[in-house]
Amino acid sequence: MGVADHSKSTYLELQRKKVFRYVIFKIDEKKKEVVVEKTGGPSENYDDFTASLPENDCRYAVYDFDFVTSENCQKSKIFFIAWSPSVSRIRAKMLYATSKERFIRELEGLHYEIQATDPTEMDLEVIRERAS
Amino acid sequence: MPELAETYACVPSTERGRGILISGDPKSNKVLYTNGRSVIILDLNNPLNVSVYGEHAYPATVARFSPNGEWVASADVSGTVRIWGAYNDHVLKKEFKVLSGRIDDLQWSPDGMRIVACGDGKGKSLVRAFMWDSGTNVGEFDGHSRRVLSCAFKPTRPFRIVTCGEDFLVNFYEGPPFKFKQSHRDHANFVNCVRYSPEGSKFISVSSDKKGIIFDGKTAEKIGELSSEDPHKGSIYAASWSPEGKQVLTVSADKTAKVWDISEDGSGKLKKTLTCSGSGGVDDMLVGCLWQNDHLVTVSLGGTISIFSASNLEKSPLQLSGHMKNITSLAVLKSDPKCVLSSSYDGLIVKWVQGLGYSGKLQRKENSQIKCFAAAEEEIVTSGFDNKIWRISLHGDQCGDGDSVDIGSQPKDLSLALLSPELALVTTDSGVVMLRCTKVVSTINLGFAVTASVVAPDGSEAIVGGQDGKLHVFCIVGDTLKEEAVLEKHRGAITVIRYSPDFSMFASGDANREAIVWDRVSREVKLKNMLYHTARINCLAWSPNNSVVATGSLDTCVIIYEVDKPASSRMTIKGAHLGGVYALAFTDEHSVVSSGEDACVRVWKLTPQ
Repeated sequence: MGVADHSKSTYLELQRKKVFRYVIFKIDEKKKEVVVEKTGGPSENYDDFTASLPENDCRYAVYDFDFVTSENCQKSKIFFIAWSPSVSRIRAKMLYATSKERFIRELEGLHYEIQATDPTEMDLEVIRERAS
Repeated sequence: MPELAETYACVPSTERGRGILISGDPKSNKVLYTNGRSVIILDLNNPLNVSVYGEHAYPATVARFSPNGEWVASADVSGTVRIWGAYNDHVLKKEFKVLSGRIDDLQWSPDGMRIVACGDGKGKSLVRAFMWDSGTNVGEFDGHSRRVLSCAFKPTRPFRIVTCGEDFLVNFYEGPPFKFKQSHRDHANFVNCVRYSPEGSKFISVSSDKKGIIFDGKTAEKIGELSSEDPHKGSIYAASWSPEGKQVLTVSADKTAKVWDISEDGSGKLKKTLTCSGSGGVDDMLVGCLWQNDHLVTVSLGGTISIFSASNLEKSPLQLSGHMKNITSLAVLKSDPKCVLSSSYDGLIVKWVQGLGYSGKLQRKENSQIKCFAAAEEEIVTSGFDNKIWRISLHGDQCGDGDSVDIGSQPKDLSLALLSPELALVTTDSGVVMLRCTKVVSTINLGFAVTASVVAPDGSEAIVGGQDGKLHVFCIVGDTLKEEAVLEKHRGAITVIRYSPDFSMFASGDANREAIVWDRVSREVKLKNMLYHTARINCLAWSPNNSVVATGSLDTCVIIYEVDKPASSRMTIKGAHLGGVYALAFTDEHSVVSSGEDACVRVWKLTPQ
């Protein structure tokens, strides 16, 4: 399973230049590599991100979460979300699960990783709790 | 955020053939008792003000306030004693494993430094006294060979402990460190309760042999007995002294409570016999009592708490009651939305009025167990664990005659068409039965394992949910069902389906923690991803204005969703009922009533966000 160069460079743009709020990656079975499916601009919020994830299929996603800590500092953390809904095909789940390690190794600078099998597991509250 | 508005407490759990011990705090006029794993603090001045402590891992047996009123020590069947703060959050101070079996009674020493606990155990450990903060033993308690039912601490110095038990003995210990001093075998049956008078001059022991014996407080010599003219005709289960130490209240299995005057020389003369009005059955046997300030509190086997006034013994008592067991269904009467009917599986139906609390029990002619319960304008329909469905007419507070119909197999779920309540749909293991009034009009075998069902208010449609998570929508044509659609979205057995009051939507919940709201006409999913529970969904209710759905689950939470907003903006009530929430109903736009395994009914007010 390879990682397309475009995927890595898109991730770096999110991380360094803050061009995107989120990036959604898909595994292209024909080319056998991880490609970028969708990106969201910095003005979009968490609900737009959740809406972009398919209900019945797995994806990888990177989300840049901005929040204010208890000491009043503005902070930003990058979350990697392995979206594997329980209603998706078992083949898809297996494919995404086995390729995850290889993909994450390419992305440097991830702060937190979340595995979500249904929408409640990647609820904004969960993200907020992980960040603080 | 939802706030708790009212709690209708459960009553003490009782057992036939044994007394229970309730205690209280004279300063704040609160009474303590236990039910299941909870310890309930009830305020006698305001019975709606109830505080529940649910931290025991095993059924709790007895609880007592410390002499200074700050702490409560409570004990359970595993032999553990927990000491926690009496106010606010009930912070745990200490927990001790005191005995190896159940603890039957617990007493604080008058200075609040020592606690004596007695009960069942193996061999030596039937009674233990220990320091309250460190748990170190303060004495050896041998002398009993069987379960020790009660113990008492002398309230004044020099300290003495008295214990009594199933071996018919009353034992006397001197200390600290406490050592066996004397034993009395004056009773001919289990000695149920032993209590010191508040000034410590005397103590009384009462027994299942219908006698009460009074001993001297310091030397433990027998000084007198409760007089044998007009004695109790049944086992005496508990005794309580008046605050001045001149009178004793005793309660017995003969369904009466008696107040005795105890004279200086120790003989007791009957002053008054108090009877509670009741149906006269076994449930009226009195099993517990407490004399607190001016109140004489007696508890009956059926769980009714009667509060008499000590200064005016002629006045009829205030009676409070509630459920003792898991409340499995709730119904709100359309004609009177302030009134809530709750039923528990042992067959008890209680009527509660918001703002007032307990309003009465619905006495039915046939007191069978109830599994499902539905209420329409003038009647209630119940089903139990036999194969019958009962329709009972309801006139205000009284139940009229009921008719039953045998449907052939055990009913699993029951639903009434609200606008035409003669039509009832009952689900059985493999199909549904349609009833009009009390006639079975058809029994339809559906071929799949049916778990839940609902019939439309106007009787035109029915939805049946199966073990596999599929919802089958049927159109009711005359007396038969015609299948119209099968909806597949749930991933677990369907547990509850409900139509919205305006009939435009319906919501379903399953055993896999998910709830879905559907549009009725198009049968499309309207709101999904309501997956925030962590255990099976037991019940579901719609608000009268169709905008809010509440779901209750085995995970003790109630979650409130607004149909127009995404599922993630929800309000959660955590820990609504220890053991799981089993029934939910809306009384008006902003009030939800919930009930559960802990036998309590709670009313929550929703403040709109």
